[in-house]
Amino acid sequence: MRHVRGFDVVRPLSVAAMIGIMLPLVLLPLYAIFWFGMSKGLGSFWAALTAPEAVFALKLSMVTSFWATVFNVLFGLFASYVLSRYNFWGRNALIVTISLPTAIPTAVAGFSLLLLWGPYGMLGKWVDPRGEWLMFTAWAIILANIFVTFPLAFGVIKPVFDTMSRSLEEASATIGATRWQTFWHVTLPSLRGAIVTGALLTFARAVGEFGSTILVSGNLANRTQTAPLYIFAKFNEGQVEAANAVAIVLALFSFAIFSVLFFARDWLDTE
Amino acid sequence: MNRLKIFGVLFIPAALLLAGSCLPKPHTDGGGVSLTVSGFSIMKETLEKSVYPGFAAKWKKEHGQDVNFTSSFAGSETITNQILQGLEADIAILSIERDVERLSAGGAVTANWRLLPHQSIVNKTPFVILVRKGNPKGIKDFPDLAKPGVKVIHPDPVSSGGAQWSILAIYGSELKKSEKETGGYDQARALKSLQAIWRNVIATPGSAREARTQFERGFGDALITYELEGLLMKEAGAEVEVVVPQSTIFSEHPAVIIDRNVTAQERPVVEAFLQYLWSDEAQRAFVKYHFRSVTDEKLNEDKKEFARIEIPFTVELFGGWTRAYPEIIEKVWREQVQRKQ
Repeated sequence: MRHVRGFDVVRPLSVAAMIGIMLPLVLLPLYAIFWFGMSKGLGSFWAALTAPEAVFALKLSMVTSFWATVFNVLFGLFASYVLSRYNFWGRNALIVTISLPTAIPTAVAGFSLLLLWGPYGMLGKWVDPRGEWLMFTAWAIILANIFVTFPLAFGVIKPVFDTMSRSLEEASATIGATRWQTFWHVTLPSLRGAIVTGALLTFARAVGEFGSTILVSGNLANRTQTAPLYIFAKFNEGQVEAANAVAIVLALFSFAIFSVLFFARDWLDTE
Repeated sequence: MNRLKIFGVLFIPAALLLAGSCLPKPHTDGGGVSLTVSGFSIMKETLEKSVYPGFAAKWKKEHGQDVNFTSSFAGSETITNQILQGLEADIAILSIERDVERLSAGGAVTANWRLLPHQSIVNKTPFVILVRKGNPKGIKDFPDLAKPGVKVIHPDPVSSGGAQWSILAIYGSELKKSEKETGGYDQARALKSLQAIWRNVIATPGSAREARTQFERGFGDALITYELEGLLMKEAGAEVEVVVPQSTIFSEHPAVIIDRNVTAQERPVVEAFLQYLWSDEAQRAFVKYHFRSVTDEKLNEDKKEFARIEIPFTVELFGGWTRAYPEIIEKVWREQVQRKQ
């Protein structure tokens, strides 16, 4: 039965079963937004997408996610370096702590920031009297994005650091290179793939962030409303087309990012 | 292999335990009847502390049957959307009549709710401004909220009925004041005032209650909200003051039966509960929790915490909600204020 004239029937069957399982869980929900988005024609889709609030929300999401990504990649590099080069008391506790934000509900991330930076908060107490405030501004969105995506770049970069052969770095040191030169010319190039992967993962996750942003951003259209908040607000207003147009953009965007992730890493590492 | 065994011993029982327990089921008591109520955010205290126990005791005495209540509270627009999408509430108490109309148009409410006592309105409260103790920004009326450097917390009109009342309060108060001063409604002045105040809004939380939470955590200099929120905060010892505008709106809150979700068997108790909301007992409970009564003005006059408003008005100033929503919330706020930020 297994091989009918050299043909393995299990192969098409198992692929079909897999797609069959994915269909109602992932594929059809995604299809639904595209189908709904196109049901009224490209014209109304385009009009919904180019509404000033929608454009603003998408831009704001991109910019705040970009800065969160820059920070988390740099920190991920730094933390990976420290944690894989040095052994010290409490090292494992730190590794676990860095990974924590993956399991903390994003709503908790949001209100913990409000508590900390609020006028009565530990840090807010010092900032607020000077008339400066972070919460309900784009800074709050960046802080929330940093918190929820904190472990992503680190999680990709650190394993590469751990398995990296030290012989090249040692060779570089013996020919008189400084630590910085060694890092820049020897260590960093072998991390290219991990850095790009970590950055893309962080960025994709930050662009889609909702739970913490709705609490800290202020959710003002044209001022502090990110793309996911815009989708939520428009859905609440009953303007499903408007919500859906932005949802399609975000879905295509994450499809693009993960495609790049899939192909780029091997390519970058084998160069 | 040994480590794998240890792992298995630790985690497989936990996994089986979780798998065996299935999904959590709602808690039900045998014999009793349960009512599900969806309320707009600020109804929580008065319902849970006074109205539910009062009705349960009355029903038990008259019919010998226990009544259990399940309720959820959120912005009025949010709960309306939830019910339209299938939430199985038996009764909804909403902030704005427009949401009743939406439930009616969506088929969730089929009876003619305008025939209910007081056109289905169960209580009311005026809109006021809350400021920090000592009123450091010197806010005396709505236009002061537009002063430079004042940070205003205002719930989001997209999800909150209170936010829409607040917009009508600001806009209408300018109309009323201009009428008093010049004899005519000055729409340009009202629009300008609304735009200027909205430039100072720093956050739009999802419901009036969420806005209060932010204000209590120290955010903002001023909060526009229902009078009862201010009184509840003062009762809890919060360092706030209530600023009563010269002219402001009375928000009126309707209650309706969600006919779609009520079985014939449940109907008597659901209808009895709705009627109970206009009973003296329930109206007194509303007043105790700082709502104003719609059946007995004497109750309102006796309560000295209630503000006296010089020029009060209702949504009738705009021709009722059927006109106020498209003409003020859509045309004025959404198009002239939100878009022009």
